Amino acid sequence: MADENSKTDESTPATLPTHEELVDERLVAWYFLAALAYLFISMSGGFLMAFQLIKHNPLNGIEIFSPGRWRMVHTNAIAYGFLANAFLGMLHWVIPRLTLRPVLDRRLSLFIFCAWQFVVVATAVGLLLGQAQGLEWGETPVWIDPVAQLGLLLVAINFMAPIMKQKGPMYVTLWYFVAAFIWTFLTYAMGNFVPEYFVSGSSAGAVGGLFIHDLVGLFVTPLGWGMMYYFVPILLKKPIWSHGLSLVGFWGLAFFYPLQGIHHFLYTPIPMFLQYGAIMSTIAVELVVLTVVINFFGTLWGDGRQFWDNLPIRWFYTGMVYYFLTCLQCSLQVTLTFQALIHFTDWVVGHAHLVMFGVFSMWLLGVMTYLFPRLLKQEWYSQTLCEWHYWLSAGGMLVMASDLILGGLFQGWSWAALQPWDASVEISQPFWAVRVVSGLAIFGGQLAFVYNLYKTWQLSRVRLS
Amino acid sequence: MTSPPANRQRTMFIVTAVLAVLILVPSGVGFVNKLFEFYGVIKGEASGAFAFTPVVNYLLASMGFLCLMLWAIGHGMFHDIERPKQTMLETERMLDEQRATEVDS
Repeated sequence: MADENSKTDESTPATLPTHEELVDERLVAWYFLAALAYLFISMSGGFLMAFQLIKHNPLNGIEIFSPGRWRMVHTNAIAYGFLANAFLGMLHWVIPRLTLRPVLDRRLSLFIFCAWQFVVVATAVGLLLGQAQGLEWGETPVWIDPVAQLGLLLVAINFMAPIMKQKGPMYVTLWYFVAAFIWTFLTYAMGNFVPEYFVSGSSAGAVGGLFIHDLVGLFVTPLGWGMMYYFVPILLKKPIWSHGLSLVGFWGLAFFYPLQGIHHFLYTPIPMFLQYGAIMSTIAVELVVLTVVINFFGTLWGDGRQFWDNLPIRWFYTGMVYYFLTCLQCSLQVTLTFQALIHFTDWVVGHAHLVMFGVFSMWLLGVMTYLFPRLLKQEWYSQTLCEWHYWLSAGGMLVMASDLILGGLFQGWSWAALQPWDASVEISQPFWAVRVVSGLAIFGGQLAFVYNLYKTWQLSRVRLS
Repeated sequence: MTSPPANRQRTMFIVTAVLAVLILVPSGVGFVNKLFEFYGVIKGEASGAFAFTPVVNYLLASMGFLCLMLWAIGHGMFHDIERPKQTMLETERMLDEQRATEVDS
């Protein structure tokens, strides 16, 4: 026991700080609320695009609300509005508790919160006014890019300060977070500045491909997995199955992920050796993912009942199943044979929704389900509404992804048979109608969550008074 | 025991060396050859440089993480590799207990 204590002391301060000294709960709650607001904005953008496809756009003819612009608001709001805000809130909880040190400066945290909301709102307004930059998922108007880049630098400085004071072996969550801070800063710079100012043509296309995928793999993925390695052991009250295996997953991601983005541009003038490299590294990442998934299911082994009884755990493991499926799908769709069929089809749209909502959003919603009662010091107003939130989200996502993936195959076969373009649009109508319905289910789930949150907040006020 | 340990070690060394030469030399030649081809693409074609950007991006990112990995090995980050998962849970338990005590009091 004495030996165990001395080992713990190596990486922790001499005296144990209190939770209040470490975590600014108010800021965590603000980030989560901002994230939820952007989630609704993003879903509204998605709905407008979905209604446009089934020829029922309610805002038809209004330039500022044209579907092309709303689509960009949809994707940017989910990345920079929902995911970034929710991750920042989570980081303000996890890093101080893991390192037993607060962030560098709470005033800086507050400033970053305000600055980031400005970046996201300005991006949305800029996109609606037609100031988009010509880069998929990097459409943030050019004048916002330096501000966002500075914001990412401040985020890295604020959170790296407590991590850098750690001594001795670091827990895998911190490895993922350190990598995410570095990668996100570099990825944003690469995607938003290199094609804009330094390269053009196919070269810019290659960098654009790297940017899109690195935003998923080097910003969202390390934060997501780092978060899971923290919350799953805490909720299951037992350590991760193998910490060594978790580090294999981390270093595998570090070395295999950065080259895969070019798989977005197969059959293009980009040299074939780069395309083959992207294909091979994508398949290699699937093996890395397998080690991570095995590790988490190894941790759950013997506690399978928790999947049904513990709602945040259910959110997390459902997301993991979706993650494995989406990566398996990825390793198939990057082959040249498969790509010839599904490129430009709704298969890709289904894949994107599965990973962004089915995995990372579900993990974050699970974290919110766990943390909001702790932040408000009040149990959920209704467990039934929590269940509705889960089932509508998970079920809606399953239907939406299956529908779009299947629809994508029909579109691909239609084009391969040299049918006219209009024919592929016509056969897509039932799939697009089902997509609207499944989207409504997901939307309903989030409404249930927000209503439940509001009532829980009311209860917490009553209790305090 | 059909052969003495010294002979066995010598045999193993020879087999390993032969296999290493057979595998590593052709692989190394192929890799260097590809690097020369790549250099030729960049230098020989007017638009060849476009191949350069993504590769340099990847190499910079990977080299950075290779350095980080070497640093981590050098600083004992992988010694007692399973310990952090226990420390993390212990820290959480202490924080929660402390918080519960504060709420009770």
